[in-house]
Amino acid sequence: MKKLILLIMCIFLLSGCNNQVYTKNLFYMDTFINVKIYSSDKKKALDALSYIDQMYNDYDMLADRYKSHDGVINIKYINEMDINQEIKIDNRLYEMIEYSKSFHAKTNGLFNIALGNVIDVWSEYRNGNKTGVPTTEELLKSGSTSIDDLSLLGNDTIMKKGDISLDLGAIAKGYVTELAGEYLEGIGLNKYLITAGTSSVKVGEHYRNDKYKIGLTDPLDTSNLYKTVKGNNISVTTSGSYDRYYEYDGVKYHHIINPNTFFPSNNSLAVTVITDDAALGEVLSTTLFLMSVDEGKKYISDMEGVEAIWYEMDGGITLTDGMSNYE
Amino acid sequence: MNRYDFILISVILFVCLLFLGITYINGEKDANVAYVYYDNKLVKTIDLRIDETKEYIVKGYNGDVVIETKKNQIRVKEEKSPLNLCSKQGFISSSLETIVCLPNKVVIKIESSNDELDAVVR
Repeated sequence: MKKLILLIMCIFLLSGCNNQVYTKNLFYMDTFINVKIYSSDKKKALDALSYIDQMYNDYDMLADRYKSHDGVINIKYINEMDINQEIKIDNRLYEMIEYSKSFHAKTNGLFNIALGNVIDVWSEYRNGNKTGVPTTEELLKSGSTSIDDLSLLGNDTIMKKGDISLDLGAIAKGYVTELAGEYLEGIGLNKYLITAGTSSVKVGEHYRNDKYKIGLTDPLDTSNLYKTVKGNNISVTTSGSYDRYYEYDGVKYHHIINPNTFFPSNNSLAVTVITDDAALGEVLSTTLFLMSVDEGKKYISDMEGVEAIWYEMDGGITLTDGMSNYE
Repeated sequence: MNRYDFILISVILFVCLLFLGITYINGEKDANVAYVYYDNKLVKTIDLRIDETKEYIVKGYNGDVVIETKKNQIRVKEEKSPLNLCSKQGFISSSLETIVCLPNKVVIKIESSNDELDAVVR
């Protein structure tokens, strides 16, 4: 009898008295990040929120290619330094560059963090500093886009061999979000939800023995959702062409540039990737966005735990078979 | 089981129910409230249940941000920013939509008690 009563007490304690939500809004990496932790341990949750704030802050400075920060060797510094000069950088930045660079070969060159020169040309047009559309010639002569011009020499030391400009915009947010999620799991705060910008969400365990429900915005009618993904311990990342673009002569030019053509790619309106790793999700959503639907399906077919949804140009929707696990 | 066990259990049950009650009441009270943040600090809480058009002004990084509300809806009416993405976004009415004015570091979120989704990705 005593044991039974003890058990009932425990159940009440677990279900009734715990799991407040602790939340923090952050502005980093040109976007808005919301972290929610569900926990009964207020101090631990608040400490974790501060720690994650610091994490995004540090990586934001390291990955920054527009601003210098005192005493920080960041992407801007690397982009502006002389070639053939060895430099030791922060281990965290080195690892992020190494991780990103490794996907260049794995994606047949589609995932390339050395596109900065070309991206800058497009930015001039998108911001309205220049009118129209850049010519292929203008894009070609903007500078090197070869990732091989960056040597990783080990021991956190790098060297540039050409005038490349690194841009971690396609990876930094997801990379840090993944680290933040892993940090929370590591200290036992398994119930969390991190919204990193509008295009990426990472969730842990659910706060109520349920599944997180994540809506996907309809690219053709952005006030509506076209699908809901349900799951725990997943990240959901979308690459879409309908949010950041400019229009010229009736044609829309968006921000995801194909490294082979230097022009925005138009295979799909949006591609959403579901995987347990937010950094991988970021890499794959960009990569799949640059492939045709068939190529993309084939590309991820042998990857375990990776599912995808393509919202095609004509409004058609293609799912991988495993998506049924998240219905 | 003696008398003290009984008292202990009663007290714990009571505390549990109290907490449940507080959570429930909090949830009800926060229904359809808009929270306005500037640089990660809550600067305004607006009750959206009132059925009239109202204007509010909050400080933004580039100057004043004018916010307009209607019943269960909120939008940024005017802001100083290069692309004016915030005011172009128009009214939002669900807690899953967020207005983010990056240049002004202003965020507007709605909390309502009847949302089924945890997040939205676009």
